[in-house]
Amino acid sequence: MNPIRHELRLLMRARFAVAALLLLALLAAASVVAGLAEIRHQRQVIERIQPQQATDVAAIAEWVSKIEDPGSAAYYTFHPTWDSPSSLAFAALGTRDIAPYILRVRALGLEAQLYDGETFNPELALPGRFDFSFVLVYLAPLFVIALFHDLWSSEREAGRYVMLKSLSRGRQLWWRRAGLRFGFLYAALAIPLLTGALLSAAPVQPLALILLLIAVYLAFWALVAVAIARRGWNSATNAATLAACWLVLTLVLPTLSHIVINRAIPVGQGVELTLAQREAVNRAWDIPRETTMQRFFANHPEWRDTPPLPVDFHWKWYFAFHQVGDESVSGQVRAYRQGLEARNAAARTLGWVLPPVGVQAALARIAETDLDAQLAYQDRIRAYHSDLRKFYYRYLFNDLPFQPADFARAPTFGSSNDPRNGRHSGN
Amino acid sequence: MSAIGLIARDELRLMRRNRVALIAFALLVVLTLVAAVTSWTNQQAITAQRAQFQETAEQAFDAQPDRHPHRVVHYGHFIFRPLGPLAAFDPGVDAFTGNSMFLEGHRQNTANFGDVRQSSLLIRFGQLTPAFVLQVLAPLLLIFLGYGAIARERERGTLRQLLAQGVSGRRLFAGKALALGLVAIFVGLPAMIGFALIAGHPGALAGPMAVIALGYAAWLLFWTLVVILVSALVKRSRDALLTLLAIWAVGVILIPRVAPDVAGQARPLVTRLETDIAIQRDLRQLGDSHNADDPFFAAFKQKVLDQYGVSRVEDLPVNYKGLLAIEGEKLTSGLFDRYANASFATQAEQSAIMHGFAVLSPAIGLRRLSTAAAGTDLTGHRRFLDQAEAYRFVIVQRLNRLQADAVSYADDTAKDAGADQRKRIAHRHWDKIPEFAFTPATSGQLVRAALPGLIVVAAWLLATMAACWLAAGRLQRNLR
Repeated sequence: MNPIRHELRLLMRARFAVAALLLLALLAAASVVAGLAEIRHQRQVIERIQPQQATDVAAIAEWVSKIEDPGSAAYYTFHPTWDSPSSLAFAALGTRDIAPYILRVRALGLEAQLYDGETFNPELALPGRFDFSFVLVYLAPLFVIALFHDLWSSEREAGRYVMLKSLSRGRQLWWRRAGLRFGFLYAALAIPLLTGALLSAAPVQPLALILLLIAVYLAFWALVAVAIARRGWNSATNAATLAACWLVLTLVLPTLSHIVINRAIPVGQGVELTLAQREAVNRAWDIPRETTMQRFFANHPEWRDTPPLPVDFHWKWYFAFHQVGDESVSGQVRAYRQGLEARNAAARTLGWVLPPVGVQAALARIAETDLDAQLAYQDRIRAYHSDLRKFYYRYLFNDLPFQPADFARAPTFGSSNDPRNGRHSGN
Repeated sequence: MSAIGLIARDELRLMRRNRVALIAFALLVVLTLVAAVTSWTNQQAITAQRAQFQETAEQAFDAQPDRHPHRVVHYGHFIFRPLGPLAAFDPGVDAFTGNSMFLEGHRQNTANFGDVRQSSLLIRFGQLTPAFVLQVLAPLLLIFLGYGAIARERERGTLRQLLAQGVSGRRLFAGKALALGLVAIFVGLPAMIGFALIAGHPGALAGPMAVIALGYAAWLLFWTLVVILVSALVKRSRDALLTLLAIWAVGVILIPRVAPDVAGQARPLVTRLETDIAIQRDLRQLGDSHNADDPFFAAFKQKVLDQYGVSRVEDLPVNYKGLLAIEGEKLTSGLFDRYANASFATQAEQSAIMHGFAVLSPAIGLRRLSTAAAGTDLTGHRRFLDQAEAYRFVIVQRLNRLQADAVSYADDTAKDAGADQRKRIAHRHWDKIPEFAFTPATSGQLVRAALPGLIVVAAWLLATMAACWLAAGRLQRNLR
């Protein structure tokens, strides 16, 4: 009889092992379903804001077109931006539950708009999401431990160990058993993920990377389990030792490191940045308007040769001081961002030592749901916002009337300035 | 010495000989102390920083030069949510909510710059606080120390001997539980010492602290009994360990993650963007301030003219533009409240669904108790948002009133070169705008909010006690 088939039969007869494998497959499948549902919801939200937004703009256009005032159009019109989830986002929802994936901006100061949050229930966000990355990072190791800890000790405790060891090719027996258990654990995780990826039409390359990541992570835990299981202790001691390893690697060290990283890399609070920007913007009302205009023209000479400011209020001054306000805090903006990136980089470096952290970070990177993806979305908003400014400035600085048809001429998000087009994001 | 005492003493002696157990115990104690110290210093640092930010914001507000009141409405104000002293024990949602808010006229901004968006991905692995140690890690230690308590005796055949010597099953059970219970006390003690340190801190609240201490004592007792119970029911100690680990993983890790997902899917929230659009739409339906012939604003104008007995706004003794601003703010503010209430109602439903899962996992009940008593739950956050909105309304209306009373209509509508200076009012007015003072929840409110969670934990404890009573009674019968 084929020894592998024999082992397979033995494994299938162990009710405990079969139940564990089925449970893991079930949890993985449930997490994939939950992730897919969340991503579908996010796509629907992005979809459904478009007509609402169009109605909103139409209502503004209705009264602005009577006065044909570009300043009012620029001041009152909000423009939507969105960050469509990638087709693998379902596997690791990352920060998409706490950072906004839709945000509307207008041509005023961007630094006062960019950090706005989304409405979410913090009590739901606190425990973390039930997604595939959770099942893989936290739960899968427990199943590895359950199936591997007594590979040797169970035979010893059943009194068969000496007999099995004396068999020719006895060593192969353990590797066959370990390999078989590993294979089933892998299948329990990979098949649900693969199904989800097929359903959301994920591209092959990042998917293959995730499948490899699952194998490597499982292999790590299997090696740890084998290393402990071979020491000749009894089953209970093995299980307790492995559970302690799991506890330290997935809960204790990450939470300790979090404290260390946040203390070691202080992030100049975003609050300071917005306070400074507000001061800069509002000061414009208390200094000569020409001072503001000169500062603005210094950075944007293309608008210099336009009509001078009239005696009374003019919108172009208003928008100019908003932009000058943004530019006056550009150093702080850079420092703030670098602080965030440094914290993230530290966590990622830690991932090389703490596999759970490394896998979590890698999954979120591949799924494009991590901080990098969030910052990339902010960059796209910045680029789009700059297009919006240019669009309105043409009317403002040249005193062109803003007509109803001009509302449709405003740049839309996600066209030319979206580097994500043609990449593996859905939508 | 009674049989129970002897059994407990024996069990403790065995634990003391177990080196792994001792190391694990020592590690947990160290971890608790680290958690208590970092959590407390963190709370102090956050409190100091937010107080300093608040101070800076107040000074900036008061230091404004002469300005048109409406400019000040848009200059706005920054406020910061203070962190209660009990947050050092359980910071709850604090890191997940923004803690600073920009208040201005006719806009409701979000609370921004929460830690969760300023930290690395590690924050999602949990936060090392005394609450986390007691909720998540302490039960595991009890499992490691106690899984073999009775199963081991059964495996070795000593259980039969003990019972044959006339020790009743219930006494045996009680002795084992007593031993593990003593360990549980030592597990909980460091956290309680940390807690006592906070008690020395002015402003700490005795009532909520008592509820927290009671809740966590019940939680540790619950786990002590569950461990001994499983050890008594399962044949082999290995199986007892695996069963307990499974119970822990499902109850403490899995269900607390699944529950919020179910709640979020069942009651999705309306996004902020959609709310913004809806508020703008409702405002337009109430009255179009950009349309001179709008019936709502025409009626308002007529009402004001009648009230003062004049026929033109220019003849009013007050600045009509200020009155208009007051009326407009009333409209927008009413809508903000309506939509915020709707959103909070949905969030409360979400939380209720999540809390319903406490039927499957007492950990959810404990977390509810803990954050509610510490004032760091959703209600605590809402308390801040509600007070922020009320304060926003007060200062904006004070400034609008100043526009109505201190700026003349003629100046306000003038467009000549000197008009800008004439529209401004003296900077001494800014000083008189009230400062934001957050009213924290009272001790009684916190205790009341924590009661449902306490009841859940107590119910689980009672059910476990009943199960223990039955299982301990059958210990003897099953052997015969």
